[in-house]
Amino acid sequence: MKARRVKGLDPDGTLADNAERIVRVRLDELCSFMPTAGDPDEIGALHDMRIAAKRLRYVLEVTGPCFGDYAKTATKHVKELQDLLGEIHDCDVQIPETVAFAERLQSADAAALREAAGAADDLDPTLLKQAPHAREHAGLVALQVHLRARRLLLFDRFLELWDDYERKGFRARLEYAVGERSDDHEAQRPLASGAP
Amino acid sequence: MAKAQDIDVAASEPFRQAGARVVRVRAGELFEYGDGVLDTRDIERVHDMRVASRRLRAVLEIFAPCFPQAEFKGVLRDVKQLADALGERRDPDVHIDALQAFSKALLAANKPGVARLVEDMRARQSRGNELLAAALERARERGLHERLLALADEAEAQPE
Repeated sequence: MKARRVKGLDPDGTLADNAERIVRVRLDELCSFMPTAGDPDEIGALHDMRIAAKRLRYVLEVTGPCFGDYAKTATKHVKELQDLLGEIHDCDVQIPETVAFAERLQSADAAALREAAGAADDLDPTLLKQAPHAREHAGLVALQVHLRARRLLLFDRFLELWDDYERKGFRARLEYAVGERSDDHEAQRPLASGAP
Repeated sequence: MAKAQDIDVAASEPFRQAGARVVRVRAGELFEYGDGVLDTRDIERVHDMRVASRRLRAVLEIFAPCFPQAEFKGVLRDVKQLADALGERRDPDVHIDALQAFSKALLAANKPGVARLVEDMRARQSRGNELLAAALERARERGLHERLLALADEAEAQPE
């Protein structure tokens, strides 16, 4: 997803003024994916929302100390959101990969059984035992079930998390915080950026 | 796990000055994690370097207007290529790790299928490692770290 352009950036302006512009655009970008991404079938929107969360998180990690206190809380919220969306994305990547892999083995086995049947009028079901991947199909089905169930669970958590952020006024509070400036006379410590 | 170095910033400092400092630190972190990154026995190394590449790419994009555009575009493209190569290695690492954890909870009858998929992922991991080795070599040949530092110097040298 191409990031929305931030207008009016000035290299000779202050860090805080420029960062404020960037955060406002990135925050709006993130929020714009809802309610679309709240539909479990909208995989693309959810993926783009994850990228938007990542962009907002990284700008807050670096420039958060310029702003009001809530910027620090917001950074943690965005990281939590990004991590959760990342887990869902992993499922969205792994489910089709697993399906494709299982289908490859099934196709290979079908071809092998056809070969084994030779000139028979019909396929003998007992031949299944001889299929090269006979022992492997069950585990791959179990894996697909696990991944699909995990995706459902994580998606429910995402909806709950977003509702929670909305209830807490995440967007409005961050918009307010980036309008504030931290005291330049104090030593300004960056946010603990912690885990990736 | 990769912890980014804290960088002091001041709200009133010039954007370009902050950009130069942040890019220097993040560039240093990227190459610091390069040692042993091709060792598939320790998947955390490639994870750390990938995270560092994401952070570097992010700060390059944040501070983009501070840099001379011709040089900036080439550097950003090279950082993206390295980040993509790190992803090619990291993705199968993550998948293998998850599959191995999942397999422990399975009935014996279900284990062979998952083991077969792990085997397939190992081949992908190996191809990813080759891509990463080539990308690291290309970054070295093209002096990516030095170009990043030069970019930061040029941002700072611009008249305020």
